[in-house]
Amino acid sequence: MKVVVIGNGMVGSRFVDDLVSRDASAQVTVLGKETHEPYNRVLLSSVVAGKTAPDALATLTTDSDRVRTLLGVSAVAVDRGAMTVTDSTGDVHHYDRLVFATGSQARIPGIQGIATDRGLLEGVSVLKDLDDATGIVAAIPKARRAVVLGAGVLGLEVATGLASRGLAVTLVHHADRLMERQLGSAASSIATGSLQRLGVTVVTETSVASARDSRGAVKSVTLTDGTEILTNLLVMCAGTIPETALARKAGLPCDRGIMVGEDLASPADPAVFAIGDCAQPPEGGSGLVAQGWDQAKRLVAAWTADAVAESRVDAVVESADTAELDVTNVVRVKASGLDVVTMGLSGKFEHGERELRAVRMADPAIGRFVEVVVSHGLLVGATIVGDKQCATELGSMYTRMLPVPSDPAHLIIRPLANATRPAAVAVEDMGPDHTICQCNAVPKGRIEEAVADGCSSVEDVARATRAGTGCGDCRSLVGDIIRRCGTADAADQKVPALAGSAPVGTVEG
Amino acid sequence: MSASHGTASPENTSGDAVATHCPYCALQCAQTLTVTPGKRLPLEVAGREFPTNRGGLCQKGWTSAEVLRAQDRITSPMIRTADGGFREASWDEALGLISTRIEELQASHGRESIAIFGGGGLTNEKAYALGKFARTVLRTPFIDYNGRFCMSSAAAASNRAFGMDRGLGFPLADLGGADAVLVLGSNMGVTMPPFVQHLAGSRERGGLIVVDPRETVTAKLTHGDKGIHLAPVPGTDMVVLLALTHVLIAEGLVDTDYLERRTRGFDAVRRSVAGWWPERAEGVCGIAADELRRTARLLAKASPRHGGRGAYVLTGRGMEQMSQGTACVTAAINLALCLGLVGRHGSGFGPVTGQGNGQGGREHGQKSDQLPGYRMITDPAAREYVAGVWGVDPESLPGPGVPAVKLLDSLGREDGPQALLVHGSNMVVSAPNADAVIESLKRLQLLVVADLVPSETALLADVILPVTQWAEEEGTMTNLEGRIIRRRKAVDAPGEARSELWILGELARRLSVYEGFPEDPRVVFDELARASAGGKADYAGITYERLDAGEELQWPCPAPDASGKAHPGTPRVFLDRFPTPDGRATMVAVDHHAPADDVRAGARTYLVTGRVLQHYQSGAQTRRVEELNAAQPEPFVELHPLLADRIGVAEGEDVILTTARGEAVARAVLTEGIRPDTVFMPFHWAGAGSANRLTNDVTDPISGMPEFKVTAVAIAPAAFPITTVEEGVNAR
Repeated sequence: MKVVVIGNGMVGSRFVDDLVSRDASAQVTVLGKETHEPYNRVLLSSVVAGKTAPDALATLTTDSDRVRTLLGVSAVAVDRGAMTVTDSTGDVHHYDRLVFATGSQARIPGIQGIATDRGLLEGVSVLKDLDDATGIVAAIPKARRAVVLGAGVLGLEVATGLASRGLAVTLVHHADRLMERQLGSAASSIATGSLQRLGVTVVTETSVASARDSRGAVKSVTLTDGTEILTNLLVMCAGTIPETALARKAGLPCDRGIMVGEDLASPADPAVFAIGDCAQPPEGGSGLVAQGWDQAKRLVAAWTADAVAESRVDAVVESADTAELDVTNVVRVKASGLDVVTMGLSGKFEHGERELRAVRMADPAIGRFVEVVVSHGLLVGATIVGDKQCATELGSMYTRMLPVPSDPAHLIIRPLANATRPAAVAVEDMGPDHTICQCNAVPKGRIEEAVADGCSSVEDVARATRAGTGCGDCRSLVGDIIRRCGTADAADQKVPALAGSAPVGTVEG
Repeated sequence: MSASHGTASPENTSGDAVATHCPYCALQCAQTLTVTPGKRLPLEVAGREFPTNRGGLCQKGWTSAEVLRAQDRITSPMIRTADGGFREASWDEALGLISTRIEELQASHGRESIAIFGGGGLTNEKAYALGKFARTVLRTPFIDYNGRFCMSSAAAASNRAFGMDRGLGFPLADLGGADAVLVLGSNMGVTMPPFVQHLAGSRERGGLIVVDPRETVTAKLTHGDKGIHLAPVPGTDMVVLLALTHVLIAEGLVDTDYLERRTRGFDAVRRSVAGWWPERAEGVCGIAADELRRTARLLAKASPRHGGRGAYVLTGRGMEQMSQGTACVTAAINLALCLGLVGRHGSGFGPVTGQGNGQGGREHGQKSDQLPGYRMITDPAAREYVAGVWGVDPESLPGPGVPAVKLLDSLGREDGPQALLVHGSNMVVSAPNADAVIESLKRLQLLVVADLVPSETALLADVILPVTQWAEEEGTMTNLEGRIIRRRKAVDAPGEARSELWILGELARRLSVYEGFPEDPRVVFDELARASAGGKADYAGITYERLDAGEELQWPCPAPDASGKAHPGTPRVFLDRFPTPDGRATMVAVDHHAPADDVRAGARTYLVTGRVLQHYQSGAQTRRVEELNAAQPEPFVELHPLLADRIGVAEGEDVILTTARGEAVARAVLTEGIRPDTVFMPFHWAGAGSANRLTNDVTDPISGMPEFKVTAVAIAPAAFPITTVEEGVNAR
């Protein structure tokens, strides 16, 4: 089977790797527009933030003689009748199956003054590929101020990343709140507070109208409300547009993305498929890599008739209650000091016919907001700002569709931290049955008896009761008990060997 | 009859104190036994100063003398009667019966119709003799052992990466000097308490990192700024490791010079972890991204590359007993190599061996594919050498057999073995999918079990053979740090109990092999040493004399050199090079996959299994010690109060657990020290509360390790039908 894959990004390369390892008959040609080997695009913002070295981004390449990867070669035409793809070098590749994994391109808003003959004005950039990231990083040492346009996930990551490198950052956003697709107003305003603490100025309900330059480099931008902001950098994070040009030219039905069915095939051509950001499946594209990887996995499974890998998905389909649950729809903002995670239903969503329970806690003073949405005993959505632990726990619950506690409020409110740490009990408060030596199951009462029988040192007690002869961790506690018994009976019986080793939470005898 | 069948060292035969080691786990705590004639128990046990236990013993060790006089100790060979019971028999009758049946089966079904199942608690001498017996007397390929359930994934990963597997490649005491110790899936605070002393240094410096879904005793050692406890979703330890490695690379913290000089394959590993950035890992393993970063930085800071005192990465069964166990350990090794820890003073990697002789037990030929000295049975040179030591034709040696789970499954089937000899194992309790194991054993035409007590497996046997144990025998064990230690005799075994060495010699004779199976363990050891010479686990330079003189010997310890100078053993391995063809450690890129039986509709909770302090393995010994049994009398299920509340169960009530393999009932114990999506069951019991009736027998493709440590389970109050409760009140 000859397969042509257009696109060598995170989804395309993962698909190819999976396919050749599972299907011995697959002969694959990959057309990769970029000259780089595949890399982890999700981490570009971490490169900008200085948290990830650019060379840590490279992902596995398929080491198989059944895969031919052409770097720096793009597809220019698809002839579906002849089942061929023509590439930018003029070569023609025959296919039995064609997979579009062309990804998306950054949306460049109409801003006056950013276009030059040689592309974008110096200091003005999107963040879509490795070259964009290294370009921004190269500009940082000379820059003092930055404007980030767009407060979606990427915009927040870039804004906090640049702020952490010491730049004065203004985040400009067209909507009335941050991440308006994921966050409601309350969550957004709490996140805004966190951003301000990180040194990011947030300006909403406006956009960048124009940019001015000084000697060919951006110097300031003017917002639609007329405000002018001095800046050395303008990073546009204004969303992405699925890359569909070639598919449209080939006559494939496209809406926002290349339209595909449940089977990821084009309704117009059963030999043509689309996965990743360029695809528009029935449930809609989320723009998240998790969705693309899931599609890659599903497509390989379908082609290799591998039902095993799909057991979980089958389970979802079986249960009407959870059929709408997309477990890949988890959005995590990767930004130090700004913890925003959403999953499933979040922000402003329609209840529809569903029987939903939503429980919310807002705690603006410390920058915390949690909302959970529960349906039929399962978590179907959550929004978490400023509570890492809660986000982590809800995330595992959501992606695995684990049942929630009887009262969803328990998802938000955790018991007092100390309730699980009885170790802080002071030695005099321990009852005679309290186990002192776990390794030998010796209770406090037994040690007190030993002391009453004449044991005056930790070693004596060990000989008499075995306490402290396992891991040795309780020896200081045994010392305390001896001391306490000592003060009760004979005034100055001390255990010199243990001086200064009293554990926290005990009272001097 | 109380004749001695061992060969005690002359200095130890009197009523004086005998220096030996504990009968239980791989820490092999040093003990002093004092014979107490006329008392209820024949001897007294005390801890003895030794580099590993430093005089410490846990409750199991202190009470170990009780097993010598277990009420139901088997003191005579037993033969099954027509009515399903047993009757006492003479050795001659029992061994005659066994050898006759074996010969009949060999005649009707061929040599492959006889199989052996060994144990990781047997002495080196017994393990060696068992492997030799299988290959030269029975001439069957079918031998494997319960170590397959213990160390096989760690062994496979170590051999692949380093060219050798010695458990801890350094003396245990070295841990004390490190700034950080990363413990993955081991609860040594409960399973081998005296070990904890060696964690004091890293705890003092805030560097103990414990990865465990439960807040175990070991995890609690991190409390109070002594370190970090990470509680991943069961089955995702690998993701933690991949993410930690990702962070090291992303933040430029790897030891590039070390990687350059001492490893190969880093580029593939670097690429393979690129897809495991912390936020993605968080979504899978349930540990916050920043916590993963903090952990990686702590490890890096402790590493020699960044001027730290050193760091260690230790793995346990919690992460090895997975269908991706070998890959999990490989990920741990990759992390250790990225930090530049392996083969360096003060740093290192190692799996924490579990069974008493889990290390030695895997070196001398009990494994289906190995010959003594950790040689591969498929290697023509190894076959020729070992056949030479054994005085047999290399061509006569069988090829590789099959790993334990496959072996057990094949028993009594048309093309499978029809007879099984069991030594030192109680797989009815300890093997996964235990109900299926019982069915397998029942299919056999002959089951022979050599044991101390009527274990659950022994009770299914056609013939039970009483054997010596611990203080009743001489031999050697190899502890978790590859140190060869002496087991010494203090008392005679009761009744007719005999050493397996004697039994194998007698059986061999009845099967017409008249030489090669001496009863004296010292003679067996000398042959073992010769057979191991030149192999990876080279014992050639070790003798009882050196050990009895108090020398500390860790293998490899080759024969004296040309000048006759004795080899001092190898406390720390890999310091100069790795025993691989190019001398470098091999880094292998690995990726995570979900458990084979992952949570799903109808089974939405994870089950993990493990141990309690008071019991060892299948509990066959420790359940017979009153003091231990009183402390932990019955099976239980740990669950989080939120889960208990959801399913409607209170502390102390019985819950029923159901998996695709079977069901079990046990008492509920509520604790906040476990993830609300996970329940825990100890596996020391048989019957209705036997955890291994639930566990999954799917195995790792490389090591054959079963996936004990994670399966989806449905859980409900024992009084309720399972489906209605698990699905929640609204779901159906």
